[in-house]
Amino acid sequence: MFLAWNEIQKNKLRFTLIIGVLMLVAYLVFFLSGLANGLASLNREAVDKWDASAIVLTEESDKSLVASTMTIDEAEAMNADETAVLGQINTIARTDDQKANISLFGIREDEFIMPEVSEGEGFSADNEVIASDTIKEDGFALGDELELSSTDEKLTIVGFTEDARFNAAPVLYGDLATFQRVKFGEAAEANKDQINGVVVRTDDIAAITDNSELEAIESETFIENLPGYTAQSLTLNFMIYFLFGISSVIVAIFLYVLTVQKISMFGVMKAQGIPSGYLARSVVAQTFILAAIGVAIGLILTLVTGAFLPAAVPVAFAIPTMLIYGVVLVAVAVIGAVFSVLTIVKIDPLKAIGG
Amino acid sequence: MAVLEMNQINKTFGSGHKKVDALKKTDFQAERGELIAVIGPSGSGKSTFLTIAGGLLSPTSGDIFINEKNIASLNEKELSKVRLKEIGFILQASNLIPFLTVDKQMKLLDKVKKDNMNKQELEQLYDDLGIADLRNKYPSDLSGGERQRVAIAKALYSNPSIILADEPTASLDSDRAYEVMQLLKNETKNKKTTTIVVTHDIRLVEYCDKVYKMVDGVLKLQEQNG
Repeated sequence: MFLAWNEIQKNKLRFTLIIGVLMLVAYLVFFLSGLANGLASLNREAVDKWDASAIVLTEESDKSLVASTMTIDEAEAMNADETAVLGQINTIARTDDQKANISLFGIREDEFIMPEVSEGEGFSADNEVIASDTIKEDGFALGDELELSSTDEKLTIVGFTEDARFNAAPVLYGDLATFQRVKFGEAAEANKDQINGVVVRTDDIAAITDNSELEAIESETFIENLPGYTAQSLTLNFMIYFLFGISSVIVAIFLYVLTVQKISMFGVMKAQGIPSGYLARSVVAQTFILAAIGVAIGLILTLVTGAFLPAAVPVAFAIPTMLIYGVVLVAVAVIGAVFSVLTIVKIDPLKAIGG
Repeated sequence: MAVLEMNQINKTFGSGHKKVDALKKTDFQAERGELIAVIGPSGSGKSTFLTIAGGLLSPTSGDIFINEKNIASLNEKELSKVRLKEIGFILQASNLIPFLTVDKQMKLLDKVKKDNMNKQELEQLYDDLGIADLRNKYPSDLSGGERQRVAIAKALYSNPSIILADEPTASLDSDRAYEVMQLLKNETKNKKTTTIVVTHDIRLVEYCDKVYKMVDGVLKLQEQNG
């Protein structure tokens, strides 16, 4: 630490530049992680909100909620602690001057997926819905009457709830009957036992159903099978993992160049009997200091930027994830110091003093 | 008791036609409090002599004792410890760390070794060498003579048994060179260390107790003052 810190203090400009590069890499990593997280919640918020262990869909729907249809009778045959029936349809909601892609959930008020109302009140009459509060950004407000693209039914927003987006669309929660009217129109009465799936809470997912036409899917698996979800998160995570590799290489190159410049100095120190181990530890300590400062500044910068971004940018910072990424960045930077350590160990003190 | 003793040291570089005998059957002894000069033209083997005496290089054959410990067959890690504990180097190009102040050059040694000078001793050393005012300066702010004096301080700070100086006056003008030699002589006498100066500068020999001459790998005692 002694050598490491003193050298940083003496050569401020040089080390500020290295810290700057590390900071930018960290900034990018943190930002991408925020973006990955933000885009992910865009898709899965509503599912996370259920806090359920699994969802039961028909086997032939291939884990797609919208493609699955079953009856309430089938739903009631589930073997689980808690169940909640769910009907779902994607449609376009519009007022006179606003338009939005929405996902309508048909639920029962007394079952556990009934959302908590953060503003307004719950649905009580026909065609009343609770909407995701993100829809406010599209210009919708309490009391708005929504026309739907697929039917003549009109829905009224009576309440808002937080964190309720499904597959990038804000969710409207309505009564099962409301959902069926929207989905089946005139034939609603004939289809009043039709739902898409059942959300369940249980400890034993395998035991939920023995109906071979139904399939119990763990919540996480269900989310991964949402259209585009896996492709999107893989892409962003790949970028993040590549950045880890890149930052390791950048640090390795920087430190190696610095170390090569100092070979004769290290040689002189080794001639004086200062152990290689001490010098190697000093380089590692220096890397640690530089990386830790760079990552810390990157983190602060990310949070500051996040605070100023328009709400339309889907970033959501998950501090625990960011802290893990920060630690990984520091760790890969230290790994990058290995080349320099090897160089130092190999320096022949004799050459350094011109013997 | 000799602080440094070499018995029949041979050092050969290369093999076959390219074989070079850098040191031939060298015997050498140095006692406490002695200032010894080894002179000779370049290529005569005096640098090889210095690096073997300093534990930087192992001899091809022969024994070398530092405080009665044979270091001829030690590995690099053990030699490194011997160098740290027993030897103070003053090198041709000043051996100061560019990013440490004078005080911190000394402090670095505290990080890796015990039994260095205490505070009063260091103050005394600074005064003797006339560098007390330079303690917070970096090597780049010092003149050549000042740097060499700091290098001497650094070599002495670890209380070594032997000080090895390779052309310590090479970058200095005559007045400064004499001054540095006088300082080395004083410190050798005060601290009862053994100082060996390798140089081709014949003017410096008048400060030395013994003068050896190196010719083609053969070391001969040339002069014994006093």
